[in-house]
Amino acid sequence: MQVEYNEHYLPNGIRLIFIPTTKFKTITMGLFLHQELRRELAAMNALLPAVLEQGSRLYPDKLRLQRELERLYGADMYADILKTGERHIPAFTFESAHDKYLGESGKLLKQDMFVLGSIVGDPLIENGGFKKEYVSREKNQLIKEIKALLNEKGAYAYERCMSLMCKNEKFGTYKLGRIEDYDNIDSAGLYSYYRDIFTHNPIDFYVVGDLEIGQVLEEAAEAFSFSRNGEPKTLAGAKIDYPVKEVQYIEEEMSVNQAKMILGLRTYTSYRDNDYSALLVYNGVLGAFPHSKLFMKVREEAGLAYNVHSRLERHKGLMIISAGINYDDKQQVQDIIEQQLDDMKSGNITDQELENTKKGLINSLLSQQDSPTQLVSFHLNGAIGGKVYSPDQLIAEIEAVDREAIRKVAEKVTLDTVYILRPREGGSEQ
Amino acid sequence: MSASFNLIENRELHETLYHYRFFPGLDLYVLPRPDYQKKYAVFSARFGSIDNRFRVEPDPQVTELPDGIAHFLEHKLFEDERGNVFDRFATLGASPNAYTSFTQTSYLFSCTANFEQSLEHLLDFVQEPYFTEETVRKEQGIIGQEIKMYEDHPHWQVFFNLLAGLYRKHPVRNDIAGTTESIARVTPDLLYRCYSTFYHPSNMALFIIGDLDPGQVGSRVEANLEKRGYTAMGEIVRLFPDEPEDINRERSIKELVVSEPIVFVGFKDNRAKYFNGKDLMRREILMELLLDILFGSSEPFYNDLYREDLIDENFGAEYTAEVNYGYTMVGGETRDPDQLYEKIMEGIKKIKAAGITREQFERHRRKILGGYIRRFNSLEFIANNFLAYRFREADLFELPAILQQVKKEEAMELIEENLDYKRHAVSMVVPPEDS
Repeated sequence: MQVEYNEHYLPNGIRLIFIPTTKFKTITMGLFLHQELRRELAAMNALLPAVLEQGSRLYPDKLRLQRELERLYGADMYADILKTGERHIPAFTFESAHDKYLGESGKLLKQDMFVLGSIVGDPLIENGGFKKEYVSREKNQLIKEIKALLNEKGAYAYERCMSLMCKNEKFGTYKLGRIEDYDNIDSAGLYSYYRDIFTHNPIDFYVVGDLEIGQVLEEAAEAFSFSRNGEPKTLAGAKIDYPVKEVQYIEEEMSVNQAKMILGLRTYTSYRDNDYSALLVYNGVLGAFPHSKLFMKVREEAGLAYNVHSRLERHKGLMIISAGINYDDKQQVQDIIEQQLDDMKSGNITDQELENTKKGLINSLLSQQDSPTQLVSFHLNGAIGGKVYSPDQLIAEIEAVDREAIRKVAEKVTLDTVYILRPREGGSEQ
Repeated sequence: MSASFNLIENRELHETLYHYRFFPGLDLYVLPRPDYQKKYAVFSARFGSIDNRFRVEPDPQVTELPDGIAHFLEHKLFEDERGNVFDRFATLGASPNAYTSFTQTSYLFSCTANFEQSLEHLLDFVQEPYFTEETVRKEQGIIGQEIKMYEDHPHWQVFFNLLAGLYRKHPVRNDIAGTTESIARVTPDLLYRCYSTFYHPSNMALFIIGDLDPGQVGSRVEANLEKRGYTAMGEIVRLFPDEPEDINRERSIKELVVSEPIVFVGFKDNRAKYFNGKDLMRREILMELLLDILFGSSEPFYNDLYREDLIDENFGAEYTAEVNYGYTMVGGETRDPDQLYEKIMEGIKKIKAAGITREQFERHRRKILGGYIRRFNSLEFIANNFLAYRFREADLFELPAILQQVKKEEAMELIEENLDYKRHAVSMVVPPEDS
């Protein structure tokens, strides 16, 4: 079954993308406010969804908002900040069960949209700003969340590597910003910033479900009727052409049992480029699957890691290799990884590795069509990357990738940073 | 087919489930989902980390197993005589995985092409064990790394320290992967012994979901079983120690690098072992309602604590019940674990005195119903949960009907019985003093 993405514009310029489908038991919506990733704005962008989901004019606190969601059969509303490439996007997703499984008669769409419209378009305002109590409380929560990155050693090592590798690039900004940036934000300033980006920046609104387009447009125009007058802003794509002068090696210590090794590489290929599909295949052969070189060599053959894989930052053109290892094995692991990178360059790839990778990539692209939120993400990536593929088009491109195309990608892939989080000297304290 | 067959229709969810039973006792469930790209199959053995002592009728001989062997066996089945099982799935473009819990081991794959061959491969690799001294030794290294990874995982540590606080003897207190020492005792011989017992078809079940013809799937599975010459096996008797009613230790504190302390309060459910099937499911639903009323984000308790900066969004409560153990856990990250602990105990005391309202009960009932329907978007959710319930003789599809039946009064009785001060323990992870 072919996925349909139907694009429309609401009177106030919000782009509505409707995905009609009968296969899900839900009504799913996603609203994305596009903004650039910038160090000085990061804390504000992160704070916006957190403050907005505390309550609106009509549902002025979390208790009342949650009770309304419960009345809508436990609808789930989730506000978050996304960082992808050099975009920083306050995001709101909303999902309720579909009426037809509840003996209700088609009223839920209107009520769902009403709540979401209230949260993003009609916030709780006092003295010309967001409610002070919510702003200070959510600042505090986000600062705690920044500190809590420490709790997940793998994620911590990944973020440390990215921030060291891209320290002079927008991408080096952590998605929740820096702790010190929160000091200078006040509720009036934050609200006027929100008014500004809400008016000028692109907004994509997705609706997925067994619904009629006429009704979707009508309800959306009513629930999102706020005015957005002003010049629409266009946002730049990520800058990816940073050269590597020499490889940086960085080690840091923590009281941990296992060392984390993260390799940051630049691929100089991003989502919109013609060789993006070749990069997908390259990354798949190298480390995205259990059949990939990294898993087979580091884990299955050498038994040196439980966890080892590579992944792409598709909009920024980065590839990140991660492994959880014994610190004493670090040289051996790094040698094996570098050998695999060399093999990719010299075209030392078996037919089977190539075929399996293509099949694996196609399987995962098709599987995405079975989840409403993944259907949304696929299109949103196109909106961010400046090139909207249809799933079939991307699949056809992947099928056409040959060794030569992979070799060309491999030529460009350059190691930039090796980061190791190692156990404190003298072993762990436990 | 020679197998028995029946059809289970669920009108509320618009689903039809096909059930087959094949000699010597394998249950197959097929749920057609037209329109879905993906097909998903999960093959589960009722063998988890708690199954560490057993015998098989009529043999009185008891076998004792090292902790972590079910998980070890899961890893090892991914290797067969011809090499790595992943390779064949990769050739087919399918995505395999496996997991081990306290009570079961599951092998699964999802695919969008080559379903028949992938299913054949799943059935083959799970039913064709191959263990040698050498492969066992290598796996000890890999699992050693996995255990180390969990040692650095604060929430995992809080969880298992709490279970070890609640339970004195029951193996649910032990880490699913075992310890470096316990897995050192794993041998090929022991793996074969576990395999021939717990991977007998009568101790397994298979759930398959996607755009499929149930009759064709059934014939394939039956043909695969027939060629293996299975014979009937006696009943597996799982032996568990007599767990005392009281807890093991009230407080566990561990130092780990964390930004904020984590605290979980646990309550031991000594009566879960008297329930099974529908009754156990009813108990679970009541506890879910109750915990949502006590600690959910639409109630004053949560909102007051959030305002006082004692909890964050990840604060939560959960009840788990299996055929021979059960527990409730409440908690999260907090700046002040002692104060949060006090508040939780106080909250429970208050609700015991004040009771719950009909309005609250109905509102939360509605929420749980909607959440249940939403989860039916996910093929993985349906398959995995169906089998987990099936192994405790309950039926996932009966959940909405039971949810509609339960009464507020039953929930009030359960608070008294199940959130008992005398059966509680607390577990904390705190940052080291020097950091």
